[in-house]
Amino acid sequence: MSLTPGLHHFLVVSALLFSLGLLGVLARRNLLVIYMGLELMLNAANLALVAFSRFNANLNGQVMVFFIITVAAAEVAVGLALIVALYRKRQSAHVEDLTSLKL
Amino acid sequence: MTNGDYYQLLKLLAPEWTVVGTVLAILFADLQFWRNRSVAWRSAGAASILSLGFAAAAGLLIWKRAVTADLLGGTLVLSPTSQYVKLALLGLAIVTAWLCTEGEFTKHVGEFVALIALATAGMMFLVSTENLLMVFVALELVSLSLYVMTAFNKRSPRSAEAALKYFLFGGMAAAFTLFGFSFLYGLTGSIHLPTIAAKISWHAGDPLTLVAIVLVVAGFGFKIAAVPFHLWAPDAYEGAPAPAAAFIASGSKVASFFVLGKLLSVGLPGVGGSGAWKAFSPGWLAVVAILATASMIFGNLAALAQSSLRRLLAYSAIAHAGYALLAIIGGSQPALLYYAITYAVTSVGIFGVVAVVENRTGNEDIAGLAGLRERSFLLSVALSVFVLSLAGVPPLAGFFGKFYAFAAAAKLGSSLGYWWLVALALGASCVSLFYYLQVLKQVWVAPVPEGQGKVAGGWVVSILLALLALAVLVTGAAPELLIRFLK
Amino acid sequence: MLAWTIYISFAAAAAMFLLKPDSRQGARVLALVAALAGLAVGLAGALQHAGGGLVTIQKYPWVPTVGAEYYLAADGISLTLVILTGLAAVVGILFSWNVELRTREFFAFYLALIGGVYGVFLSFDLLLLFVFYEIAIVPKYFLIAIWGSTRREYAAMKLALYSFIGSAMVLAGLVAAYVVSGAQTFNLVELAKYPFPASFQNWAFPLVFVGFAILAGLWPFHTWAPTGHSAAPTAASMLLAGVVMKLGAYGCLRVAMTLFPEGLATWRNAIAALAVVGIVYGALVSLTQRDFKFVIGYSSVSHMGFVLLGLMTLSTIGLSGAVLQMFSHGVIAGLLFGVVGRMVYDREHTRDLDELQGRRLSRTMPFAAVTFVVAGLASMGLPGFSGFVAELKVLIGAWQTFPKLAVIAGVGIVLGVAYTLRAVQKAFFSGDQEDVPGAVHGGHAHGESAITLPEKIGAVVLIATTVLIGLYPKLLLDWIVPSFASPLFDGLRKGGLL
Repeated sequence: MSLTPGLHHFLVVSALLFSLGLLGVLARRNLLVIYMGLELMLNAANLALVAFSRFNANLNGQVMVFFIITVAAAEVAVGLALIVALYRKRQSAHVEDLTSLKL
Repeated sequence: MTNGDYYQLLKLLAPEWTVVGTVLAILFADLQFWRNRSVAWRSAGAASILSLGFAAAAGLLIWKRAVTADLLGGTLVLSPTSQYVKLALLGLAIVTAWLCTEGEFTKHVGEFVALIALATAGMMFLVSTENLLMVFVALELVSLSLYVMTAFNKRSPRSAEAALKYFLFGGMAAAFTLFGFSFLYGLTGSIHLPTIAAKISWHAGDPLTLVAIVLVVAGFGFKIAAVPFHLWAPDAYEGAPAPAAAFIASGSKVASFFVLGKLLSVGLPGVGGSGAWKAFSPGWLAVVAILATASMIFGNLAALAQSSLRRLLAYSAIAHAGYALLAIIGGSQPALLYYAITYAVTSVGIFGVVAVVENRTGNEDIAGLAGLRERSFLLSVALSVFVLSLAGVPPLAGFFGKFYAFAAAAKLGSSLGYWWLVALALGASCVSLFYYLQVLKQVWVAPVPEGQGKVAGGWVVSILLALLALAVLVTGAAPELLIRFLK
Repeated sequence: MLAWTIYISFAAAAAMFLLKPDSRQGARVLALVAALAGLAVGLAGALQHAGGGLVTIQKYPWVPTVGAEYYLAADGISLTLVILTGLAAVVGILFSWNVELRTREFFAFYLALIGGVYGVFLSFDLLLLFVFYEIAIVPKYFLIAIWGSTRREYAAMKLALYSFIGSAMVLAGLVAAYVVSGAQTFNLVELAKYPFPASFQNWAFPLVFVGFAILAGLWPFHTWAPTGHSAAPTAASMLLAGVVMKLGAYGCLRVAMTLFPEGLATWRNAIAALAVVGIVYGALVSLTQRDFKFVIGYSSVSHMGFVLLGLMTLSTIGLSGAVLQMFSHGVIAGLLFGVVGRMVYDREHTRDLDELQGRRLSRTMPFAAVTFVVAGLASMGLPGFSGFVAELKVLIGAWQTFPKLAVIAGVGIVLGVAYTLRAVQKAFFSGDQEDVPGAVHGGHAHGESAITLPEKIGAVVLIATTVLIGLYPKLLLDWIVPSFASPLFDGLRKGGLL
């Protein structure tokens, strides 16, 4: 058994991260924590891309990761702005309080 | 990569530069010159600049309509079809921008109109690429602009809440899409769709392929509001300012359907599997067939129970996403684009009517339309045309959209394998007639409420709505006029 | 030339909105002129096309991508029904001269409906036919929902949904035929030549046939008819019973039977049985109704049963009888609904036979009584009226193929005599006018409630038509019979069915 991690090790970690993120989005009640779950999902994808890039021996995946990090930063700006806007109206950052629209 | 390539890139992207330039011009004019003007004046001014800029971009597109190009390894792929789709997007954006003149939902109109233009730029990039990275970046540009537009009504608590829900579901969708993309890249070593297509069929039976397909389709399922990824749609439609809702329902749908269709038919043709009756095999055809079934059934049934006009439109949009998925299954790009474009024109028209009526009456329920015939004949006729088109009554565009889509799905596979889907779609259309007629009943049958005066939009909006209704009628009566551009 | 029937109707419908919103008389006159022009064009065109063969009127490429054409043509069957439509349209307008509520819109919807109906009868491209067929649905909904009476919104929605479900079935069959044939055409004559596999025909035929037959009132899919007819305003029920039900029967004959002859052979007995059930059931139910319009509504179901039975005989005599019955029932049902809806209901404000029983309307409105008696006699199938010839031909045709069913259908005719006499007796000839104080229903003092001239003209025109065809059916049969020789019916002939 080799000690260097293979592709599937990375993929398992990435799948775990993705699942954790998804669980966070679905199960947590605080908007900020939900948002962190979202970021975790994006980073799971990043990890998979980097791993694939390494084992496919081309740089497409790595380049993609740079773009994703940039876009994620923009998403943070928008997302936090939305949370703040809602907080100003409701004085709350919990999903239980998102009730003015029926689901 | 030589300098010549960059020069060509600049030239080919001239319409997109024009659109981006329009964004800057609107922001500049609004901030620099119009600080002290009224909101109504500024919204009309911003919409005018946008119209001028977009007209120039449209001119460039028409001038170069015969172009075909494939630059930078599929990052920029132009074809006559993509040029015509961009034309449609520009038109939808112009109408949306003018809808901002109906009702003052924000003081920062300049920014709002600039965001419409920015989202349009994203959509234009989205339809002219065959590269996964470019798809993702353009999609995020569109999505982020739309999230912000949804939240723009600072006075309404529902606006921020709708935007947040839209954002959370959209962010999740982006993560799904991206995770799917990473698997596609891992399996094929490429982010270029035709290259992926060439290699992915080696992995046709691979469970990883199926996971990638499910993730990608799920991600786009959010964008087009297909069940079970539709939860954001009713809230976003209800809470967003009317122009934002109109653009989510129109431009964003056209671009998303175009990309989803391209992704599946150009990028993953070898791993379709089958969704034929009693011959299911895993692949995107099966996944999309399941989404379509769920969307048509759930969308129509849920729409039956709505009393809010906007929520009704949202559920009807979910049902329509199901119908349009039939065109994707049928693998017919003209059918898909005809459906998506005519549906978008219809939706933006309905939201136009909704914007005018809500602005004047403040009532968002279907019952708020009561007696509209006496209060605005133009709006009544236009709304009837749009709603009947959604119901699929000929000779309106909605009928031929459905006809092309259903015929495309019916042709697929041997011995009428997809007939179960077509039969379901026809049954669902029958159900939908019920709630569409409820809307028209308010307009034409219900008594005129006491003390309600005339309803009238601004003259530009009125003209645009009349033109949209005419377009729905003409492209329906003579579908060849539109479909020959989409082949 | 015949194509102008369609264009005139739609143009006039659109032109209604150029009138001032409150110009009632203008709307009436415009509608009447348009309907008369349509009838005149129809008659003139029909006379030109003497002989009954298939004549192309207009043929242009329409949607080349799918091979659909703008193909208008006519044979004797179309001509007969075009003339019927023209007649029903004119008389319907005469009978709705008193519509005061949103007159302009009323006639706009009315003419749009008429235009759609003309379009169906003249289309020989399947897709075009379907488009016109659907165009006719929406105005029906509004005519009933806005201007109707009893439970109008329920009835309008029921009618619209039944129609839409029927047309969805038709569309399914149509797309299937298009895909299976792979011929890239919707031309009816071309498609009828294509030998569809028998297994396909066996499910496509019932789909398309029943889809159309829903509108023709095929039992057990008839329930929209009585509610729709009775809720509709007079002119709309005249059109519904007189023309729209014929759309369904026409579609059955023109599309389902010609495209899928082998499927027809499989299902023929079952459908004939349903038709006969419809005849007897309609008559029996009609016998027990209290609402005058329901009596006529169920009688329509019964009479349309004869049309469907005639279609299933697949002999020239039965088929031509069926087409003649379409014409005849169109005229007679129009007359009956005209009397009940306009002459009686608009003046007495009730259609309840038990209430009418005491009023002896034959005294207060003799013209209505006479008209209804004549229409009733025609409806019973008395010799000398068109119904007699038509139902006789259907029965002779049925006797040759389904002798047992023909006997049962004969019982239906006897029942027809019973319910008609019951209605005549209760509505017009019972009770004593002198016993009833004038104050109870003084609203119809003789001066204002006298039968108006437009009504009289309308009634006389329809009575004259039914008598004319009754005495000289050759007038129409010379068109109808040769139609069955056209290449459209080759499939039926090849199967030895015609």
